Amino acid sequence: MEKELEELQSNLKKSLNGLTKEADVLNLKSEYLGKKSRISELLSGLKDMSNEDKRKYGSLINNTKKELENIVNEYLENMNNKTSIKFDDTIDFDIELGSLHPITIVAKEVTDVLKRMGFTVVSGVEMESEYYNFEALNVPKDHPARDMQDTYYLDNGMLLRTQTSGDQIHSMEKFGAPLRICSPGRTFRNEDLDASHENTFFQIEGMVIDKGITIENLIFVMREILREIFKRDVEVRLRPGFFPFTEPSYELDCSCLICGGKGCPTCKNSGWIELVPGGMVHPNVLKAGGIDPEVYNGFAFGIGLTRLAMMKYKINDIRVLNSGDLRYLSHFDID
Amino acid sequence: MLLSCNKLKSHIKNSNDIDWLKIWDIFTVRTAEVENVKEVGKQIDNVVVAEIKKCSEHPDSDHMHVLEVDCGEDELIQVVCGAPNVRVGLKTAYVKVGGHIDGEEIKARPLRGVLSNGMCCSGRELGISDNHDGILELPNDFVNGTDLKKIYPIEDIIVEIDNKSLTNRPDLWGHYGIAREIAAITDHELLPLKLETIKNDKQDLDIKIKDANLCYRYCGLKIANITNNKTPMDMQIFLYYVGMRSISLLVDLTNYLMLELGQPMHAFDARVVKSIEVDVAKDGDTYTTLDDVKRNLTKDMLMIKNGDKYFGIAGVMGGLDSEILSDTTEVFLESATFNAGSIRKTAVALGLRTEASARYEKSLDPNLTDVAIKRLTYLLHRENPHMEIASNLTDIYPNKLKEGKIILKKKTVNTYMGKVLPDNDIKNMLEKIAFKVKVNDDNFEVIVPTFRHTKDVFIEQDLIEEIARMYGLENLEAKPLKLDLVAKEKETIFNQEYEAKKLLAIKYNIHEVHSYIWYDTELLKELGIEKKGVKVLGKVDNNILRDDLSLSLMNIVKNNFKNYTNFKIMEIGTIIKNNENKKMLSVIIAGEEKKLESNYNEAKMLVKYLFKVLKNQSVSFTENVNELSYYDQNLGKNIIVNGEKIGEINVLGKSYSNKLAKKKAIVTIDIDFYQYLKLTKVDILAQEVSKYPVVTLDYTVTLNNQKFIDLKNILDKFMSNLILKWELVGIYENKYTVRYTLGSKNKTLEQHDLVKFKERFIEHIKNNNLIIAE
Repeated sequence: MEKELEELQSNLKKSLNGLTKEADVLNLKSEYLGKKSRISELLSGLKDMSNEDKRKYGSLINNTKKELENIVNEYLENMNNKTSIKFDDTIDFDIELGSLHPITIVAKEVTDVLKRMGFTVVSGVEMESEYYNFEALNVPKDHPARDMQDTYYLDNGMLLRTQTSGDQIHSMEKFGAPLRICSPGRTFRNEDLDASHENTFFQIEGMVIDKGITIENLIFVMREILREIFKRDVEVRLRPGFFPFTEPSYELDCSCLICGGKGCPTCKNSGWIELVPGGMVHPNVLKAGGIDPEVYNGFAFGIGLTRLAMMKYKINDIRVLNSGDLRYLSHFDID
Repeated sequence: MLLSCNKLKSHIKNSNDIDWLKIWDIFTVRTAEVENVKEVGKQIDNVVVAEIKKCSEHPDSDHMHVLEVDCGEDELIQVVCGAPNVRVGLKTAYVKVGGHIDGEEIKARPLRGVLSNGMCCSGRELGISDNHDGILELPNDFVNGTDLKKIYPIEDIIVEIDNKSLTNRPDLWGHYGIAREIAAITDHELLPLKLETIKNDKQDLDIKIKDANLCYRYCGLKIANITNNKTPMDMQIFLYYVGMRSISLLVDLTNYLMLELGQPMHAFDARVVKSIEVDVAKDGDTYTTLDDVKRNLTKDMLMIKNGDKYFGIAGVMGGLDSEILSDTTEVFLESATFNAGSIRKTAVALGLRTEASARYEKSLDPNLTDVAIKRLTYLLHRENPHMEIASNLTDIYPNKLKEGKIILKKKTVNTYMGKVLPDNDIKNMLEKIAFKVKVNDDNFEVIVPTFRHTKDVFIEQDLIEEIARMYGLENLEAKPLKLDLVAKEKETIFNQEYEAKKLLAIKYNIHEVHSYIWYDTELLKELGIEKKGVKVLGKVDNNILRDDLSLSLMNIVKNNFKNYTNFKIMEIGTIIKNNENKKMLSVIIAGEEKKLESNYNEAKMLVKYLFKVLKNQSVSFTENVNELSYYDQNLGKNIIVNGEKIGEINVLGKSYSNKLAKKKAIVTIDIDFYQYLKLTKVDILAQEVSKYPVVTLDYTVTLNNQKFIDLKNILDKFMSNLILKWELVGIYENKYTVRYTLGSKNKTLEQHDLVKFKERFIEHIKNNNLIIAE
């Protein structure tokens, strides 16, 4: 008896092997498990057995029946999940995708970092008044930056902003102190175009105003931003700089990402790249924004987004960015 | 600016303690950015003084000579030399066999068959001047065989400082000022300059300043009986190393002083100087400068006048007739300070930026002028023991610049530095860089030297900059901002721009581009479109600011048609309309003419999608006869949201698109983004859903010479309680298929409900004279 039951199982497996049609399997199932099957015969034969044999074979036969059912079901399941392929599944498809401008992506990254640090993202305007672009920022009347050579003045008495720093004043006027804003945007300077010079480029401005802000806070925030942008620990160096709207003013250099600080053409062999100019907000700028410099102080900084995008994507000709040439631009990310 | 470390060393006591190669890393973080540090003179060795004892013509050359030179050894050495100035008795520079020039080893080798043991060399060959007219001529008292490096400062370290990082430090435009910084950084003592004592027991010179706001100070001095006008070799080498040509002692000394103190000077031939007046030019006058260029003058340009004639452009460049000549023995020395802005404007206007104007632009300290004259006189005297001072040091100085005084509150220092520094540390740091400090209970009384007080140091924060850099920026810890848990201002412009662009890039495969804020002049010309917008001053072309973003993108469209047949681009950009900044979102769907209809429909779909997803607002379109004639006058649509026009869809007129590319159609979408920002997103509320199943019925209606809108109007008039919605699901030629979704909140629809609906619907269509497929 035991032997016969084992044979039933191995025979079923043998018969199933190679079957690909569901109907064939179902036929086999009824052959082995249906009313006229050997197993049913054995089961109905139980009632004629002695009590001792009933106990002995009852469970054995029932278990075998279950086992047979399992074998068939498992085979069916495997078979159904393996469709026989009737179409060409080897065709390769190109994904059609739009793209965002590299500057947009970099601006998003930088603002995301700043947002996580509690900065509000604001936006300024490109046609700006001389007051917001220069005067309120403590840039005196005869400062070289105000020359026609550097600034695009307009025939309506306005100008194309040369820096996003005017948004410092707008934000102070709008929100007052304390304040934590950043403002990405497009700026303009009268330059002749070549591979590394553009008259139209992007910056992001950052400003913090509160009570008791220290130079140490400025160093921390500037370093933190760079670390987050480059997603690694960068070595930074602060050195004296000069801007009319900050005092003291600093240039934040970061170790050259191309050569790692050993010196290469990108960093002009210095091992450092000038990246973030900034400083403590000049008292005159606070006053222009309607904030009392005896109570509040703060810091401000700017980052060249165009420069950052060029570094990130290894773009070696700045003119690509404003070319609108889809051969260059269409392969950039969406996110 | 180039600096010579030999020169800097001469101003600092015990300067050999300083590592002159490494100090510049520290200088960069304390003071100003160093761009390059270069050792010079190391490539030369075994160059000694040698005297020509015999000189004969080379048997096989028409210009070379065979020399026998005495270089301090027992025997004379045979050298072949091609220089024209060889002669017996001349002492010159000789490189021994095995010695090096420019890193090249000098070997004994035959020149046209005659053995030359080493070589005699010119200043240029030694790398100490650009003179290659002949071999070096050395003074007769030099001892033969002496290593030239022991006599002349040939070995030096030349440092290049980024001029931009010195713009606010007029005191650093000379070696002495840099030496002051280095002495402070390294705790060394700055040596005083040796100056001539001028007794002022002679006559004053005739000098006038017309406008004390343009010329702050003018010092003049006459010196006679100058017989030696030869510049000492070490000064020549210094000048050459820092990028200047040696001309003559008098000219070199004025340059030397500028490089030493930062004070530009001028030496005129005293024979031509009558009286000096500093005054502005007359409009329309011309003047020929030293470089023989005729310059057009304006009334804004400050001039030096001699008698009633122009004598030089103040602070920029002298004239031809004021030059020192070979027979000049009497000079008029000028040392003056001018208004920085005036000099800069003049230099820019003339396109003539000189070493002098570069320094004047930085606001020089007027108290330097007399020091410079005394210093130059001292140096001149060294070379001309018999010279005579022929006038008083005449000093016209209407408004003397005095030292500044700043009360620096300890509280301010502590706030900015983030820590409390001992009073004495602060005092020391400031005093090292020439400030005077008195410590009070809660403040410091700081006296600012005039050379830091022309435009640089005026307020507390300026002093904090000095303290922080002397303390060492690298010694400041980075400390995070304090956290405050206040919800900050809400501004969403940047985010909404990003969201919209991302959505369009993902859903409609659009590529974002950036274009200029001005129209491309060439393109406008090509299209024959005239624009009268705001103009950029002083810009010859591309000078009209755009008032139509889509039009300004046509340049990009045109260029991309060279590589693509169908493409879509977008930009969110500024336009200037009615003198106001306006932000627009433009999308351009460009493609083959035959795709016009599908592209046009896609444009509408895209607009609806954008407003649905990001604002949950529905969009309708109305006919728009565009006032801009370059857009097709029949295809324009207004985009209406919430009852207001928010933008337009247009098709560039065929005659215009033909100029960009043949057989192409260009669909444009322009959405006023400021208006878009104002729209709030409508909240989406839950909707009740019927428990009973719905039924859909499709009908195909044939239109003849009618548009969809006509069908829509007819369908909208058909009323039934069962209609949940209807939509257009297909168009084939003029056959429009609409799908009705029917249902009831109260029951499952039965066959007779549907039959009744169908009969009524078909009748409605027929009554409206349309053909329906039953």
